[in-house]
Amino acid sequence: MLDLSLNIMDIIENSVSAHATEIKILIEMTVSKNRLRIDIKDNGIGMDEKMVDTVQDPFYTSKIQRVKKVGLGIPLFKQSVEMCNGTFTLRSKKGVGTEIDAVFQYDHIDRMPLGKLADTFCTAILGHPEVDFDLELKRIFLDKKVDYFHFSTREVKAELGDVPITYPDVIMFIQETINENIKKIQLEEI
Amino acid sequence: MKTLEELRKIREKAQQDMKLRESNTRIKIVVGMGTSGIAMGARDVMKALMEEIANRNLADVLVTQTGEKGLSSMEPVVDVIEEGKPTITYGNITADKARKIVAEHIVNGKVVNDFVVTAQS
Repeated sequence: MLDLSLNIMDIIENSVSAHATEIKILIEMTVSKNRLRIDIKDNGIGMDEKMVDTVQDPFYTSKIQRVKKVGLGIPLFKQSVEMCNGTFTLRSKKGVGTEIDAVFQYDHIDRMPLGKLADTFCTAILGHPEVDFDLELKRIFLDKKVDYFHFSTREVKAELGDVPITYPDVIMFIQETINENIKKIQLEEI
Repeated sequence: MKTLEELRKIREKAQQDMKLRESNTRIKIVVGMGTSGIAMGARDVMKALMEEIANRNLADVLVTQTGEKGLSSMEPVVDVIEEGKPTITYGNITADKARKIVAEHIVNGKVVNDFVVTAQS
């Protein structure tokens, strides 16, 4: 993976395979603590304690019937966090859902850039129209001032009524909204 | 700044539009979004497809995504599924190739043979 936005995309795909109907993504940059936090929470089928351990092992995959016997999604993300003085926490409960909480040292030399977050969000939202996404971007400044952006597909769907979220003009609308706000918050100097 | 007002206008336009059409989805394009697909650039392919669909106003084409397909050496992989026609699987796709597929296959109905991995009915 070249940047964190691709890791986020991969984790979202995991949530979708776990039959999540709602995925919450929080990206928070706290200047005073030199901290970048990525938190992804779903309401999918969840995992038991044993599975929480095994999914963090590169030689485990949830696909039993396949020839392929490795799964690298979670180990790759975990590695990106741990190589920059961060902490990776995976919490899950069967029947309730899964939460991945990754905290990075923001200015660590090995921290990968966030990358094209807007692309990740747009493709995830439009690739899974049946799933509700809730995005929160936060940048907390030294003087406690907060730049904040919240986007919920539930609100958009309520406004659209019977028009599908994948309708061409809606795609454009979502892309522009997310792009505009990511630029405004400047989560990362590009 | 984008507003909900704008969304309302889109909705009105879309509802007018949908009244004129009978079937909702003519073609489904499925992008393989597993770990290996993402690492090879499937997100850019998906984005190119969506932009192309939006720019050409192809409201009867649905772009969606799936997990690992077991074709890791050919990622990014794109399936074009059309009723009554064999499902075409394209491999080693880039954003530019994806735009070509929309122009030639989706719009003009001509399969882009150079990129085809398999065709199955």
